[in-house]
Amino acid sequence: MTAFVKQGLGTLAVWALSGGLALALAVMLTTLWLSRRRGLRACGSILTTVTRGVPTSLLVVAAGIAALPHAAPTWLPNPFPGTSPRLAGVAWAVTIALCLGSAGHLAVILRSGHASIGTARLEQVMLLGLTPVRRIRLLAREAAGPTLAPLGSRLVHHLHNTAFAALFPVAELFGWVQEQANDTFDVTRYVGIGVATYVVLSLAIWATFRGLEYYLAAGPTATRQPVLSAVAS
Amino acid sequence: MPILIDLMIGLPQQRPGGLLLSILVAVAAAAAALALGVLYAMVCVTARFISLGLQAVLAILRGIPLLLLIFALGQLTSLSLPATGFLALSLYSVSHVGETVRGYLTAYPAALREQAKLLTISPAREWLALRIPWTLQKSLDAVGTHWISLLKDTGALTVLGIGELTTVARLLSEQATTTQWLEVLLAAAALYLIAVLALMRLLTVIRTRLARKGV
Repeated sequence: MTAFVKQGLGTLAVWALSGGLALALAVMLTTLWLSRRRGLRACGSILTTVTRGVPTSLLVVAAGIAALPHAAPTWLPNPFPGTSPRLAGVAWAVTIALCLGSAGHLAVILRSGHASIGTARLEQVMLLGLTPVRRIRLLAREAAGPTLAPLGSRLVHHLHNTAFAALFPVAELFGWVQEQANDTFDVTRYVGIGVATYVVLSLAIWATFRGLEYYLAAGPTATRQPVLSAVAS
Repeated sequence: MPILIDLMIGLPQQRPGGLLLSILVAVAAAAAALALGVLYAMVCVTARFISLGLQAVLAILRGIPLLLLIFALGQLTSLSLPATGFLALSLYSVSHVGETVRGYLTAYPAALREQAKLLTISPAREWLALRIPWTLQKSLDAVGTHWISLLKDTGALTVLGIGELTTVARLLSEQATTTQWLEVLLAAAALYLIAVLALMRLLTVIRTRLARKGV
């Protein structure tokens, strides 16, 4: 039971860290993509295509093989429950690979959300004379409707991709299912536990994003006017 | 050069493999999933309440990681490894494609249905000649995005040890010297990227042709 909890927490740690990093990278790629400079735009576009075109499995394999022969430096934190501190470097490498595997897809979702606002709307917000922070907050709320649903789906897919970490000695759920099933030959039981856990975690992510969508009342026709009016007043 | 050939068509004792096997498995799974997805969508549209159980099964299937699905089928069935891989990819794909096709089939315009009735087209012919082609054409973008993802997801078959591109790249890089392994993995990444770009191009061509026909 303790091992199961540890491995489950390991999956959550890998998911949260790599997902957070992927979101940050996706924001950066989207910013490059929306830049007025042609060079930066091309750079954003190429990076997005490359990260979308190369499978996460291969990125994880490359990162794991690169990190495996090296011992983790002592200063490197180990936020991965169940993973030995000696192998924290491998866990970080796998986390970064997972981040790269999702960043391009997330960037496309963010760009679609930005595009859904429309040029007229963007110009309108510019004319309100808001500070950049308030402008970004307002636009983020405007784009939340078309962005949150695919973002949630992608983060569910990202959770599923964390299973690739099992190719290396990093503590996570799929590795535990594989190990227990091979050790005990009770495949049905451990596969059942794995399926149930992943389904529950996927549902939790989906429900969180649906909740966020509901909270922000993200329907474009329902919120546009009130949000703008609130800011303007 | 021999490394590139191994990555493209597989290791000498395991051919066809490498990128060729990845493409073959992805195409076969995509075709099977599309056929099953259309069937699923038809059941959902014609018998909504009866299909609720089927929809629940597909929803659960979407919550299972592909790697776990491959592992479970590999352990719980006595199928050969390629058949297991094909079955896992098909099930995974139908859980996504089925829902997409169902969404578009539900949106089939009532006006077109009425027109078919007025022209006394038989229900079977209306499904085969009008509804299904309309649905497939409209859902091409969404299904195409899934196909791109499916081609990349063939890499998950590496847990079964099937000699597709990721497995070949992993085996070659583990045997290679420290300077060579990066070359092997970069070559594999480039091959995936080329295959994905080619698929994207093919989808654009199909989309353009359909647009020209006024679909």
